[in-house]
Amino acid sequence: MSDIPSRFAAYLQHKMPHVSDVVVSDLSRIYGGASRETYRLNATWNEGGAAKSRALILRRDPVASLIETERDIEFNAYRAFHPTGLPVPEPLFLETELTWLDRPFFVMEQILDSAAGSAFNADPYGEHAAKIGEQFWTQLGQIAKADVKAIGFDKNLDPIAPEDCWHVELDKWEKVINEDELCPQPIARAAIRWLRRNPPTPAERISVVHGDYRTGNFMFNSEGRITAILDWEMCHLGDPLEDVAWAADPLWAFQNPERPGGMIPRAEALALWEKASGLKADPKRLQWWEIFNSLKGLAIWISAGKEYETGASREPILAFSSWYCTDVHNRVLAEKLSMLNAEGRQ
Amino acid sequence: MKPEVTTVMHGYVGTLFGSILPNLNSEYSMGDTGLMAMSFMMMAQEFDRAAEIRLQENEDMRALFAHAAEEIDNEPLAKRLREAASGADASLRVSALTKANDELKALLIELHEYVEASSAKWAPELEMRIWSVLCAGVERRKLDFPKLF
Repeated sequence: MSDIPSRFAAYLQHKMPHVSDVVVSDLSRIYGGASRETYRLNATWNEGGAAKSRALILRRDPVASLIETERDIEFNAYRAFHPTGLPVPEPLFLETELTWLDRPFFVMEQILDSAAGSAFNADPYGEHAAKIGEQFWTQLGQIAKADVKAIGFDKNLDPIAPEDCWHVELDKWEKVINEDELCPQPIARAAIRWLRRNPPTPAERISVVHGDYRTGNFMFNSEGRITAILDWEMCHLGDPLEDVAWAADPLWAFQNPERPGGMIPRAEALALWEKASGLKADPKRLQWWEIFNSLKGLAIWISAGKEYETGASREPILAFSSWYCTDVHNRVLAEKLSMLNAEGRQ
Repeated sequence: MKPEVTTVMHGYVGTLFGSILPNLNSEYSMGDTGLMAMSFMMMAQEFDRAAEIRLQENEDMRALFAHAAEEIDNEPLAKRLREAASGADASLRVSALTKANDELKALLIELHEYVEASSAKWAPELEMRIWSVLCAGVERRKLDFPKLF
């Protein structure tokens, strides 16, 4: 990390040939960026005789990670949503040349005076829980409502039909489990079979799916205003209920499914999402996506465990998530599937 | 070993949270340290119970297989179930119990898939038994996690 400031300063100088004396300082790696190395830093330079500065975020591809993702798709999501008025940081540069920082990276503005909540806190938002919850679910509805073509989100993404959303995602995450499981996973396998036996109805519309919209992946300020929706690395086109189900997963609410993300009651949350999106949170289809998302979680934690076990990465977050989050999602799935299978036999 | 391993692990959690973490000045190191402390809490639970969990789960699966072998209509699968059901855990080392657990779980997946696809009279009850074993397993493995922040 010691040479990043000088190398990144050289990169900024290259990107801004009209300025001089670029200096990068206060570099600090942010914890929790499990799919990218994320750094905050300050850049200063001289522009036309005037001293300028800007607080920036640098997101560099990791050596190994929880999730394998394409940084250009993530960067494009920021580029698509930043002008829409949603609280999304301004994306600045995307770099795939390895000469600058050894691995691809992108740069965006740093959101100041804000913090993210923790999924390991039973009450992450305190007195602001209701205010933040209203914004959280309304903004997710706005993401679902966004015109994917008009905002340029669909750039470099394969189109998808409403009836294909479920199996494209299920195929993707089943493949991860097939490739990364270190021991037999009877509950994950039962979930996959249930999901295939009980396909959902087609998506009401094809929307932007953030892919990891939850407590911990947005920032808010001391007044309870959401200031940044972050971590778009798993975004794709699909059924918007996929995001609703992930945001409502018990893992992000200290296992309290009635208060998703530790914010507002589930019924209120869904009503706000419906109002903002103009779509229906069809209970049957939402149930499918909820089971799918707990399986997707398992796939991520299984993959993290493999990274750690094989020595590809020895980041403590990989071992921790493989232990704790696998434990939660196995229990969530076992409880739901045992009931659903009993009902199905009646 | 005295002090007990679980006592030491909990002691380390206190040291990590109480005196090491507050004295770190790198945000990333603080995050790693916090997660390692929480992992010690889980390790303390697992150290004490790991063998019992696996032993009980293995016994549950063998009992299930013995029952299923008498119910199902697939003789090759029934034969493998009987063979697995007649096994026993000779070593109480966690590594040995885990190896047996993995082999039994692979067979459980096969049995589960077979039962789900069956419309025979015995299938609903057997499927319920399978879920009962799975649910008991995840409850035994549940990690108690304090509200830390």
